Amino acid sequence: MHHLFTRAVSFSRLAHSLIAVSAAAFAASASAAEELTVYTYDSFVSEWGPGPALEKGFEATCQCDVKFVALEDGVSILNRLRIEGKKAKADVVLGLDTGLIEETRKEGLVQPHAVAFDALTPELKWSDKDFVPFDYGYFSFIYDSQKIKQPAQSLQELVDSSASVIYQDPRTSTPGQGMMMWMKSAYGDQAESAWKKLAQHTVTVTKGWWEAYSMFLEGDADYVLSYSTSPAYHQVAEDKTQYKAALFSEGHVMQVEVAAIAANSEKKELANRFLNFLISQEAQEIIPVTNWMLPVRKGVKLPEAFDTLIQPKSIELTPEYIAANRKAWIKEWRGAVSQ
Amino acid sequence: MKQGAFTTGKWAGWPALCFVAIATALAFGGLIGFNRNEFDWSYFSDPYFLAILRFTLLQATLSALVSVALAWPAALALSYLKDSLHKRVFLSLCVLCFVMPTLIVITGIISLLGRSGSLSPLLGEDWNLYGLSGILIAHVYLNLPFAVRTLYLRLQSIPDASWRLARQLKLTRMQRFLQLEWAATHSSTWLLLGFIFVICFNSFAVVLALGGGPKATTLEVAIYQALKYDFNISEALALAWVQLLIAGSAFLLVSFCGKVSWLSPASAPTQLRPTATRPEALAYRALYGCCWLFLLAPLLALIPRVIDGAADMTFWSSLSRPLLVTLGLGAISTALSISLAYSALRPYRRARLQGSSTALWLDWLTSHSLAVPAMVLSVGLFVLLLPHLDLDHWGMWLVALINGLITVPFAASQLKPALLNFDSQYHRLAQSLKLTSWRRRRIEWSYMAPAIRTAAAFVAMLAMGDVAIYSIFGSQDFVTLPWLIYGYASTYRLTEASLASMVFLGVCGLLIFYLEKQSPRHA
Repeated sequence: MHHLFTRAVSFSRLAHSLIAVSAAAFAASASAAEELTVYTYDSFVSEWGPGPALEKGFEATCQCDVKFVALEDGVSILNRLRIEGKKAKADVVLGLDTGLIEETRKEGLVQPHAVAFDALTPELKWSDKDFVPFDYGYFSFIYDSQKIKQPAQSLQELVDSSASVIYQDPRTSTPGQGMMMWMKSAYGDQAESAWKKLAQHTVTVTKGWWEAYSMFLEGDADYVLSYSTSPAYHQVAEDKTQYKAALFSEGHVMQVEVAAIAANSEKKELANRFLNFLISQEAQEIIPVTNWMLPVRKGVKLPEAFDTLIQPKSIELTPEYIAANRKAWIKEWRGAVSQ
Repeated sequence: MKQGAFTTGKWAGWPALCFVAIATALAFGGLIGFNRNEFDWSYFSDPYFLAILRFTLLQATLSALVSVALAWPAALALSYLKDSLHKRVFLSLCVLCFVMPTLIVITGIISLLGRSGSLSPLLGEDWNLYGLSGILIAHVYLNLPFAVRTLYLRLQSIPDASWRLARQLKLTRMQRFLQLEWAATHSSTWLLLGFIFVICFNSFAVVLALGGGPKATTLEVAIYQALKYDFNISEALALAWVQLLIAGSAFLLVSFCGKVSWLSPASAPTQLRPTATRPEALAYRALYGCCWLFLLAPLLALIPRVIDGAADMTFWSSLSRPLLVTLGLGAISTALSISLAYSALRPYRRARLQGSSTALWLDWLTSHSLAVPAMVLSVGLFVLLLPHLDLDHWGMWLVALINGLITVPFAASQLKPALLNFDSQYHRLAQSLKLTSWRRRRIEWSYMAPAIRTAAAFVAMLAMGDVAIYSIFGSQDFVTLPWLIYGYASTYRLTEASLASMVFLGVCGLLIFYLEKQSPRHA
């Protein structure tokens, strides 16, 4: 997810597009076109993210107007829904992940969809009645192989090292949350002291993926938490091969990004069509080369760069287990790193 | 006493006063009323809470100490320099730096000292702006000018006679310092320490932008995070109470001890200045030069990036909406703040004229919200209004309203001296002339015009620079300039941040220019 690498103008464009989007919304409300409001994260709707192409593709068939509302990161979407409660304007929420599914469901923020999963890749074993996956990937630490000749081979090695690290805040971002699960599954009860050790060489903890990755590319750190698929971007779009994902022996936490229909949306039919579109061949060909994640659909053709990516062992955590422990883990994390 | 024209309406001004008081009361209602049973006391023993409390106190204490310690020699140097154009500009710059929206300063500091900053290579491999160092630099930058100006004004107030006497007594430099300079400024020094402590304790934007993660979080930022990151209202409230208790009592303590005067021009510029020895004079000049550099550096650091990005017309046009939003917000808040302050001062003036002892209380009531941090007020109102109001829809009005409310004390403090002056000079006259209340009001307004303009410029700057209230109620459909700059700065889009900062700086510069033009020249 969150693969917005083009750095020079993006934020202004984003602000610009938000303004354009709201202006468009005004225009649309004058005409009769039905409006579909989608809450998502910022890089998804940026010019280089999948948002614009998906919007165009869907609007071509739906006689509707897709209105994106961009938040900082995945967890922010959940927080926003909670804060707004019944007043949420979302019809679709897009960009939550496996770690948030249970909590979102329990709080009654989504409603069941009517999407069939026949076309999905069997690896995902997906059958959730509320959430539709649209891409997936493995959390990984990215490094510059021109700077680092011998990358860490395990999470433990990275924690014990003195290499500078940037990761994201688990309270706002899904990668940060993935990091938390990763630490928890690698260290269990020892996670607190591991966090403290890591804090010794953490440059900063950012609010969202975007800030962290930007800082990394500025040369601020040796490692940044991102995805196993990130190097594909640099190869395809920039023809750069030096950025690599470190393969860790403990395995990597898998993230499946999902979308769902918001609980109080009255545009169920339109929302379902949008979710179906998300896993269509058309959309699934757009997402890997804009959001830089793996497609959830069988038989989507990918650029060659994807063949060079690491194939990590997957760490499986059930959504129920994550939901039951997330708050306690966050408390443990913030207590440890604020010392 | 006859209820003359002036006192038409015994209750004039009371609605405004009540409005200000009720807003605070409502915020407290929100703080107290929400989920009382769920109030989580165990939170206060959470290591995270203790860590942020410790950090908040530490950074505020250090910021105050460093600011005042550096301001002292600077003010001294300034007081030995002859009056000149550049010195007057310097004193204006001091005002600008203190009231300038913090995000502009932050952008400048990141451009200078951030990872790719122009000065960073000089600071070695291990230099990291984010965290305590960045927070301290920004806080010192913002508060040092305020301290310099305050101390300078105190030093200027040493009467000629004292200097003459010192010369006749052939006091040594040390004796002069102790008997005259220190004696004239020591009470201000302690007050400054207290005030800067309170300001930094409540600092939000600086910590948000330069804190760099949970290691350097303050209570104010933690309140915002509890609300916006976790939607954990009980935690946000617990933190808000602590913030209120510490910041509020510190503020009351300091304001009980005295008043810092820094905007007012020195009364009767002294002609007689002691002559400094040659090395001393050189040292003062060097110091003065350093101060200029220090204050200008972050602003000048914006220029190269502004030149870089100046050709991007789409970017310029994308600024127009945030600029309009900010100006609109500033205008509404200012109008509200000034009219509230003006009206709320009426009961106080009445009481003063009647020699009533309630004057003190009324004065306090007008300014009471100074002791309530903006974040606490916002969170209280947020929690109270959340179930009843579509905050997404009304959010921006609330940003304007709360900004108007919290700036009432600042507006009042600007208006009060002029109003009291007016009363003491013209009240009796107006009464004996039996002027109608309308005519009287017209005379009063034309008398008050300069003070109102100064207050408006000052309040507008504060309201436009707001980040804390916006962070709670703001909506992405109405992004303000400071919030936009924060977005750019935190994603390292320094060119965009610099361009937006420059525009904002231009607006503030105009306001300051206007503000300074209103008041008589500073000596």
